[in-house]
Amino acid sequence: MRHLSVENIMTYVDGYTLAAEKPQVEQHLHTCPDCSELRQDLHNLVTHLQQDTACEPPSDLVQWGIELFQPVMQPASGGRIRKIIAALVFDTFEQPALAGVRRVGAPPRQLLFRAGDVDVDVKIESMEANDRITLVGQVLSSGAKFFDNTPVKLESHGIVRYKTRTNLVGEFTFDEVPKDTYHLSVDLPEGQITLFCVHRANA
Amino acid sequence: MTPAKYKEYNDTELVTMCLRGDPQAWEALILRYKRLIYSIPVRFSFTTADASDVFQAVCLKMIEHLHELKDETKVSAWLITTTTRQCIYVRSQKFRESGSDEELEEPPDPSENVEHIRVQVEEQQTVRESVEQLPDRCRQLLELLYFDSRSPSYDDVSQVLGMPVASIGPTRARCLEKLRTVLRRRGIK
Repeated sequence: MRHLSVENIMTYVDGYTLAAEKPQVEQHLHTCPDCSELRQDLHNLVTHLQQDTACEPPSDLVQWGIELFQPVMQPASGGRIRKIIAALVFDTFEQPALAGVRRVGAPPRQLLFRAGDVDVDVKIESMEANDRITLVGQVLSSGAKFFDNTPVKLESHGIVRYKTRTNLVGEFTFDEVPKDTYHLSVDLPEGQITLFCVHRANA
Repeated sequence: MTPAKYKEYNDTELVTMCLRGDPQAWEALILRYKRLIYSIPVRFSFTTADASDVFQAVCLKMIEHLHELKDETKVSAWLITTTTRQCIYVRSQKFRESGSDEELEEPPDPSENVEHIRVQVEEQQTVRESVEQLPDRCRQLLELLYFDSRSPSYDDVSQVLGMPVASIGPTRARCLEKLRTVLRRRGIK
């Protein structure tokens, strides 16, 4: 038996087979399991592909996702500063909420980042009343050494928005900054640690 | 724009390059998985705004967890789990916000639906990855016909690919047959 060509089967799947040829094509599909299987597979494949169009995120959203990496993309000045991306080792948002606990407003988010033997502890508190957040943290080493007078920067959209320095015990504060997605970086002698430390409106 | 060679790197290679600070590797990861991430809130029937929030939250989580992802053989599995959890979280938040102040009830157990969504999303991602494996001409044609949100006409496709309009239909059929062969090799019918 001579099989239908894949082009003819696709034309049938699309519904464009000429009326005069249709009975012949259908007769063949009815009697040929191979062509019938190919028709079914092509139909499923086209359905899969068409469904995928609905899953295309808006281009500005994709661009936002790509630009998240922006601060690391910028070359270090003079190429001498080593840039390290800190690993998130603890996040209260990853922990289940305590049963039966009720509170007004979002709870503070506590995060712990680690880069080598340096830990950075960060707490983000959201102030619903004025749509701002306060970010406090501490830079610590595993040897209980304090990083005092260390520059800490808060960046958003690739621009340094706020700068501060740690106190004697390595603590820093950014008080009531507007809600946004921030990247925090800490300039240590070992290199610049970048933390993707953010306020998430929906989390 | 990400160089074509990045498409050929596997997930582990891309994550390792991200950790070395390569922004193009990050871009390649986002482009590889943007539809997978977005498709999950879409399947949860979220609004565009909520789906966008989920997408953003998952991108942030992916950056935060890059160190762990280095050891994942399949980033897609991690993303499906993370995105699904985020969707359930957002849905339960919405439920709580919209509910009365009397009793905090949990939303209906979504686990059955979630498993169904997971299977669909995994299949869909396999189809996408298989399209990536096709010869350039086929890949470009199928991407224009099915993945381009602008839904270009055959005339537009003809111009972009420098292919006569009359050839598009037969070429598409042959490309779909090739895609079917790739999918069968990967165990999908």
